[in-house]
Amino acid sequence: MPWDYSSKVMQLFRDAIAGKAGTHFGSVPEPDGEGRHGSLQCGDAMEFTFRVERSPGNPREDRIVQARYQTFGCTSAIASSEALCRMLEERKVTPIQALSIRNADIVDYLDGLPPQKLHCSVMGAEALQAAVVDWARRREVPLADLGIDPAQLEEDEGRVVCKCFNLTEPYVRRKVKELNLRTIEEITAAIKAGGACTSCHHEPGGLQDILNDAWGVQPQPVAIPSVPLPEPAQAPVAASPRTARTPYQMAKEVERVVEKVIRPRLVPEGGDIEIIEIRDKKVFCRLLGVCAGCVGAHQTLNLVVEDALRQQVDPEIEVIPVAG
Amino acid sequence: MSEPIYLDNNATTRIAPEVLDAMLPFLKNQYYNPSSTYPAAAGPRDAIERARESVARLVGAGARSEILFTGGATEGNNACLWGTLRANPDRRHVVTTAVEHPAVLEVARDLQRYGYRVTILPVDKAGRLDAADLLKALAPDTAIVSIMHANNETGVLFPVGELARLVKRVDPKIVFHTDATQTVGKIPLSLARDLSAVDLLTMSGHKLHGPKGVGAMFVRRGTRWRPFLIGGHQERGRRAGTENVAGIVGLGRACELAIESRHEEERLLQLRQWLEQSIQAKVPHVYVNGEGAERLPNTSNFAFEFVEGEGILMALVDAGIMASSGSACTSGSLDPSHVLKAMDVPFTAAHGSLRISMSRYTTGAEIDHLIQVLPGVIASLRRISPYWDHEKDAPRENVDVFIQEKFR
Repeated sequence: MPWDYSSKVMQLFRDAIAGKAGTHFGSVPEPDGEGRHGSLQCGDAMEFTFRVERSPGNPREDRIVQARYQTFGCTSAIASSEALCRMLEERKVTPIQALSIRNADIVDYLDGLPPQKLHCSVMGAEALQAAVVDWARRREVPLADLGIDPAQLEEDEGRVVCKCFNLTEPYVRRKVKELNLRTIEEITAAIKAGGACTSCHHEPGGLQDILNDAWGVQPQPVAIPSVPLPEPAQAPVAASPRTARTPYQMAKEVERVVEKVIRPRLVPEGGDIEIIEIRDKKVFCRLLGVCAGCVGAHQTLNLVVEDALRQQVDPEIEVIPVAG
Repeated sequence: MSEPIYLDNNATTRIAPEVLDAMLPFLKNQYYNPSSTYPAAAGPRDAIERARESVARLVGAGARSEILFTGGATEGNNACLWGTLRANPDRRHVVTTAVEHPAVLEVARDLQRYGYRVTILPVDKAGRLDAADLLKALAPDTAIVSIMHANNETGVLFPVGELARLVKRVDPKIVFHTDATQTVGKIPLSLARDLSAVDLLTMSGHKLHGPKGVGAMFVRRGTRWRPFLIGGHQERGRRAGTENVAGIVGLGRACELAIESRHEEERLLQLRQWLEQSIQAKVPHVYVNGEGAERLPNTSNFAFEFVEGEGILMALVDAGIMASSGSACTSGSLDPSHVLKAMDVPFTAAHGSLRISMSRYTTGAEIDHLIQVLPGVIASLRRISPYWDHEKDAPRENVDVFIQEKFR
């Protein structure tokens, strides 16, 4: 549906898939930083790597000189990945400075993204952050120096709020604050949470509760709808004719005849029968094995199955074939 | 090729020139209200009846009076479900399938909010229904069974004639509805013969080279059904509102053209087979959704592993080709198509679907062009996908482990 992409988005997408010179798909061999975000189930995923020009004395002065991505996703996911790499290479920033690149910067670089696509830019920012954390580990730069709370970054482990996209409560809480998300719709647009089955919207501890927590809204008492409930269904009394047997007894007898009389005639010939349902005196069944494709299937049902059931169970039984 | 190649005919079709010609007089001089009394109003009135005759002929209805004109299949589907339930207040159960068009499925979900019980039948991996599931779902208070004739996304056909007969064997009072939007005009069908147990059928004008905003529904004589739109005597009081005369005339003409072009089915089937064989030969890791099931001759639904459908569409547009996808990113939601989910398409491919739907205007040269372009598009998207090893041109080694460990 949303095709209202800026010409910048379209240009970056086209260049990327055409593999034009100056595009950034691929991966840096032996990278100094490596990060991932997204998953195949979610519909987009990005792998991001960078190389730095090492500052001999002080790793904090390392400069990002090469950035590469591999991305599975839609037009805007690919364009966002490309944009991120371009921004990094153009600015020649240190990894610590790179952390100040937020999804909003990617959106600006792309001349805007449709609201439903904002999560694509968030993916870029998240992959970048993961890669910088990886760089810090390799270069032995303490995470605290990055201005990142290490506890926050333990992949935001915790209770899963959005089960469809596997997003945890700490992650959602952090993003709600960072991106200033005020409504469920905004959360979904930015990080996808609540975008599929929607069951986490209003469940206890769900997205609305997280929003209320974050922005100080008092939980509203749940209004009980005053719509009158529909009349309970009058279960119509089944107009079953008086028979000597209960439906259960009847089914048992049909089963017995099928086992003792009918199957012994079909099975030796490579066929078989499955009783699907018995309603009143209608027996719905399906022929299996060679019988299934046999041109004489109909006759088999009439002559073998129906006759046997009529003679041994009830003369009013009707056998109805159900196609496989 | 400079002319764009339109391969999204299950979404809508180009209006046939003959249809447009037939409509124009009713947008110009013959603007009279068909209900008016002066002689000039007989022009539009008669034209509507001729159109009714044409629709009846195409769907094999016994009587013209069994055809009502609507504002399209969505209206028709709403009218069938609600109208049947209103006419059968003692019955509060509805049966439908997991792969219906939202114009049925969402109505069914809404009915649940009004206290009706709804059973949604599953499909198998090829998109087929099991008649046994239907049989088991039927309850003493089942009012209506609504099962589409062909699926709009995959083209998978359901044996609705047979299913309707089965339902009637259990309880002739259950109303059987089929949404035939994707089959009318594409394959032969007859409400007098193969669909003789179907009570209600809905269709749309713009899927068979007619205009948008007009459709028709078939209501078999004697069906317990109550009109949905009321407030006028039009259509014998069964669908109120001044008739969309030009639209109706266009629909009628489109039906005549569909009768004349019945030979197209075989040609489209051959094109479809050529397309599917070629793509499967040229592109690794692709599924044809619904393969193995009986399908419409004009529809192919591919699922390409490790790429995303919106990117495919965008790249195809650049090659002058218009198609569609069940990918989440194209729908504005975040979930891939409910149809592919119901078919349990592997999650590695569910986001990479591409629907190609042809019409009688589709040429072999156009399909050849698609076959030429598409493998390159998929390859270029896979090249930048983290799940693909572009040197080996295959999923990266241990892709399953990679998915598990690297991307949660």
